[in-house]
Amino acid sequence: MINVSHLTKKYNRFVANDNMSFIVNDGEIAVLAGPNGAGKSTAIKCIAGLLRFSGEIEICGHNNKSMEAKQILGYVPEIPAPFELLTVWEHMEFIARAYRLQNWQERAEMLVRRMELHDKKDKMGKELSKGMQQKISICCALLIEPKAVLFDEPFVGLDPHAIKELKAMLNELKAKGVTIIISTHMLDSVEEFWDRLLIMMRGRIEAERERKAVEKSGENLEELFFKITEKDRHDDK
Amino acid sequence: MNAIMYMLRKNVKNGIRDAFQHPMKLLVYVLVAASLVYAVIRGFTMEVDVNDKLDMRILSGAFLALLYFISIPIMLKGLSTGSSFFSMDDVNNIFVAPISPKRILVYGIGKQLATSLFLVVCFSAYGSMAIKMFDLSWGNALVLVAGIALMLFIVQMVTLLVFCLCSAHPRLTTYFKYFIYSLALYALISVIAFMFQNGMTLENLYTAITEDFLEYVPFIGWVHGVIFGIIGGNTLNALIYSSLLLLSCITSLIAFKVTKLDYYEDVLQNAESYYEFRENLRSGTVSESMLPGSGRIKVRKTGISRGKGASAIFFKHLREGSRRSRLMFFNINTIVLIGITAVIGFAMKSFFGTEDRATVIYIGAAVICAYVQFFFSAAGDWVKELNKPYIFLIPDDPVKKLIMAGATSIIKPFIDGAVSFVLLYFIVGGHFLDVISCTIVYGSFGCIYISSNILAQRIVGISGNRGVFITFYMGIIVLLMIPGIVGGVLLLSNIGADLTNIAATFLALPVMIWNIFISFMIFLMCRNLLNNIE
Repeated sequence: MINVSHLTKKYNRFVANDNMSFIVNDGEIAVLAGPNGAGKSTAIKCIAGLLRFSGEIEICGHNNKSMEAKQILGYVPEIPAPFELLTVWEHMEFIARAYRLQNWQERAEMLVRRMELHDKKDKMGKELSKGMQQKISICCALLIEPKAVLFDEPFVGLDPHAIKELKAMLNELKAKGVTIIISTHMLDSVEEFWDRLLIMMRGRIEAERERKAVEKSGENLEELFFKITEKDRHDDK
Repeated sequence: MNAIMYMLRKNVKNGIRDAFQHPMKLLVYVLVAASLVYAVIRGFTMEVDVNDKLDMRILSGAFLALLYFISIPIMLKGLSTGSSFFSMDDVNNIFVAPISPKRILVYGIGKQLATSLFLVVCFSAYGSMAIKMFDLSWGNALVLVAGIALMLFIVQMVTLLVFCLCSAHPRLTTYFKYFIYSLALYALISVIAFMFQNGMTLENLYTAITEDFLEYVPFIGWVHGVIFGIIGGNTLNALIYSSLLLLSCITSLIAFKVTKLDYYEDVLQNAESYYEFRENLRSGTVSESMLPGSGRIKVRKTGISRGKGASAIFFKHLREGSRRSRLMFFNINTIVLIGITAVIGFAMKSFFGTEDRATVIYIGAAVICAYVQFFFSAAGDWVKELNKPYIFLIPDDPVKKLIMAGATSIIKPFIDGAVSFVLLYFIVGGHFLDVISCTIVYGSFGCIYISSNILAQRIVGISGNRGVFITFYMGIIVLLMIPGIVGGVLLLSNIGADLTNIAATFLALPVMIWNIFISFMIFLMCRNLLNNIE
């Protein structure tokens, strides 16, 4: 479970996240949606423990900056940042060693194969395209068998096969009870499996919806998104 | 061309507006302008006795060296298919527009020329100083400055010619590269050969750098021939060389006119890597492409093999290091340091003469090497590690992570120091204790640089303003090294006369102890640095 309570993040006078609170339960996929500059990536980075913030964030009951939280949290950054001189397989080995994983080889092999990186195991990070670098980030985040995973725009740059495979992986993680937050504005890519929708605008959570409620009302994700994010424009008119 | 002119006009206008909107940037421009004005005023006010005027041959040699310094890098860059001409915004916006590639190339060269002209402004400030130091008239000083402008123009024309030829026949690129290298080698070998033939004296060096054979060097020597032909009143020389230069320009223009240019693909690749390099510089991050030995790396041995938790970072750095250089810690920086130490060794040995002053040479070499190390330390493994999220995410003790991330950057100076100072021992002799002390003190400065970097990151923030960061970083280095140096000087002033042959060791002892102690304390104090990426 990820519990975000009164998260506020400021850059000098600019408020990137303004008193955000929400909970994502075990086995739930929450989608953090919103227009450009809404503060989605900042919120994801705060949850990953990469930024300073005020408020409280808990990952499965542990403070997000604690060792316990780090051990069970996977993070896929928006911009892939592989080690330029490490091979694909060495990325796996490095993560396994850094996180003190046991018997990781089989899982790493499976991830690399599913992301179609198996024939590039000996290629260095700098030799890979942006999309392949993104695949490494995904493999690294999932190798640790996380209990919570944060994806920041995970589908950008991926080929159709990788998108299909990632969606399958998300469903598998969900079935295992892993808590997942995906920041994206490609709403159609999460249409099939989202459980909770958090729509952000100007650093705040403008609306929070559960799948069942939305389905009951007969709305779809896109309609709901535009209804909320373009509310101001309609009001202005 | 209208679109290009419009863009240039807007670029200049918005650049000025941007400077006024960013006071720090404006301040830097004002400071640069003020320092140039100061250089001119200082040149005028500097009192030099008529008898102290320097030999004009020095000016001639220095001018030739300057011409080489300006032109060789520009020609080599031009050879790499125009990487210096175009940026990513040019590629994305102008290349796809319906504008003739030739016009675009003219625009690129013009842009490059404008940047290069800034150099002329900088050097003109030193014209006044040259008048005072050499027996030079005002007119001659202006001719010198005009010579630099002429060299810049000629080098652009030559680049244009080379570019046209290589674009049509890519195989020529390698030959031109050898040709450009040979221009520099010819001058170097000629001077050295002259010295060997006539004796290694200062007088012979002055003669060698003003010999006619240096003016035979295409373009660079010719420009020198024109300028010093005018200054020395050798009209025939000036006419011959200016005719050769004119002929080169006409050839370039004809080549440009008749060649069918298709250079977009080559430029795109270079512009992309240059863009990445600039973005990295701007954000203060370090990528592999900026590091020595990053050219062609082959994967040989794979696997990290050792390490758990934070120590995995250290073993990862070892694997990365082995990819950059087969000898792991031995890279281009080591070679540069060895070169510097050797030059210092030979130069100071010939100055001091006797071997019992070797300890002074060790002190001099250690000071210069420690200074040079500052520039090497900017791209250490630990700095790169901060650019990735992993170090912040790894579940381990922050102090351990900090030490492990900095370990290779700490070890390398000790190894570089050991190699360099042992070499110095073979050159100047002396006491081996001085070799050990200088090695440790050199290594300890590596600790000071890395801990100052950590402290500056802690104060300014990892993603803080780079200008402010560098200011803090340098200020912290100075503050941290003072106590050790003061301690060393105090100890040195209290030793007996019988121990002066190992003065370097006594001077180094407090410095190394302090440097290592304070660095470790900073590591402890800044353990929370890895709490967040900011």
